[in-house]
Amino acid sequence: MREKLMYVLLAGSGALLVWNLSRMLLYLPDEAAQGAIYRIIFFHVPGAFTFSLAVFSALVSSVLYLITRRLPYDTFAASATEIGLAFGAVNLVTGMIWARIIWGIWWAWDPRLTSMLISWLMYAGYLMLRRAIDEPTQRARNAAVLNIFTFPGVIITYKAIDWWRTQHPGPVLSFRSGGGRMDPAMEATLYWNFLALLLLAAALLMVRMRQETTRRELDALRREAHAL
Amino acid sequence: MDTRNFTYMFYGFAAAWLIVVIYVVTLVLRERRLSQEMQRLRDMLSERRRT
Amino acid sequence: MKIVRQVFTVAAKDLRSEIRTKDTLNASLSFALVILLLFSFAFDPTAEQTREISGGLLWLVFAFAGALILNRSFSRELPNDCLEALIASPVPGSALFLGKTIANVLLLLTLELVCFPVFGIFYNVPWTEQFWPLMLVVVLATWGLTVVGTMFSALTVNLRLRELMLPTLVYPIMIPGLLGAIQLTSALVMGHPIDADLTQWLKLLAGFDIIYTALATMLVDTVLVG
Repeated sequence: MREKLMYVLLAGSGALLVWNLSRMLLYLPDEAAQGAIYRIIFFHVPGAFTFSLAVFSALVSSVLYLITRRLPYDTFAASATEIGLAFGAVNLVTGMIWARIIWGIWWAWDPRLTSMLISWLMYAGYLMLRRAIDEPTQRARNAAVLNIFTFPGVIITYKAIDWWRTQHPGPVLSFRSGGGRMDPAMEATLYWNFLALLLLAAALLMVRMRQETTRRELDALRREAHAL
Repeated sequence: MDTRNFTYMFYGFAAAWLIVVIYVVTLVLRERRLSQEMQRLRDMLSERRRT
Repeated sequence: MKIVRQVFTVAAKDLRSEIRTKDTLNASLSFALVILLLFSFAFDPTAEQTREISGGLLWLVFAFAGALILNRSFSRELPNDCLEALIASPVPGSALFLGKTIANVLLLLTLELVCFPVFGIFYNVPWTEQFWPLMLVVVLATWGLTVVGTMFSALTVNLRLRELMLPTLVYPIMIPGLLGAIQLTSALVMGHPIDADLTQWLKLLAGFDIIYTALATMLVDTVLVG
């Protein structure tokens, strides 16, 4: 059943991505100032959204773990964080490639870019902390606390373009800028691609969570082997 | 379509996909390692139980 | 106020044991001075340039030297199971944490108060033009960094590679506070009064202090007790 759901998610994501690609390349016109390269936004922004959503759900399940002390919440938090990191990397790398053309440099130390990089590194630290603790409940507990401490970085990243004058473009999507900054057809494609990435992330999340469960079973088997 | 910056657009798309593919590969490798380990432990345990 | 008394008992205990041995303070202070010296090789220190980067210079020194203090904060309780005894004592985890934070803040402030004149003399920087605003910034920033640092000291105390994990985890989280401290310190050392622009950074610093103090006191029991 789970297996089937995962394949359905993957297939849905794949179909959407093909459709979106055809829209991006064949239907949507070039942007007046940037030429073809503006299309990077269709992966850059959905990547950031998927990252934010993944780490936000990791935060929620970390809090739930601390309240209920049920290990499945910890499994979810760890898996969601790892997948968030993959999509965060998509966001960072596509952004750098865009910057190379538009700004002429790969990287600028402006608040948006810096805070995103810091958030990414903090979540990488979260995975590192998990590897350093062997005892499952202690690992879950300390990791959940660390996860709560890292989340303000994501809020800062989200609000950075409002709080500071950044080199990074300001809000263009209509729900933040009030509309008129981006062609509605382009914005729609962006949301469709977000959905595609989200479905992909959900499928990966299922795989990753099963691995974490397997890992826990392995630990139990190892203990049994020791006892024998 | 405008060909300005088209190569870098392509690099951007390729990079996005490459990262996802790399992550999937690490997932698959981990899956394989875990199932091997599982099999090994199960074999070992049943061996011990018999003796 | 029972909890206030408990907090100060813990802080006094930590400070007393530190004053008796002076291990941590000596080590971190000499470490800070060595880094301050090393920075003179990293760039050509003309007075004006040094003032512009003074904030970054000083706060990196404080952050590095502070990590030495923070590393020891909880791990010094490990021998003879002192940490277990402290947790089992009637003092709540949050009081234990705040007491240790206060002790660490005082140690770090001592270190900073030595470093400022040394920096001023060796790099020919007159740094006292905005003395009291600068002290306010120093206290606020030190509190914020130490609160986060002490929390992570508790979080990593039972880890292998504790000394490596603490800095790796804690520096990224410190960055907003560190950034505010650096901007403010540079400006104040250059003699600028606190204007609207600097007030923004001051707000960031205060917000950082409040958010992380609240988060840490709320969560420290989970980390220590379980």
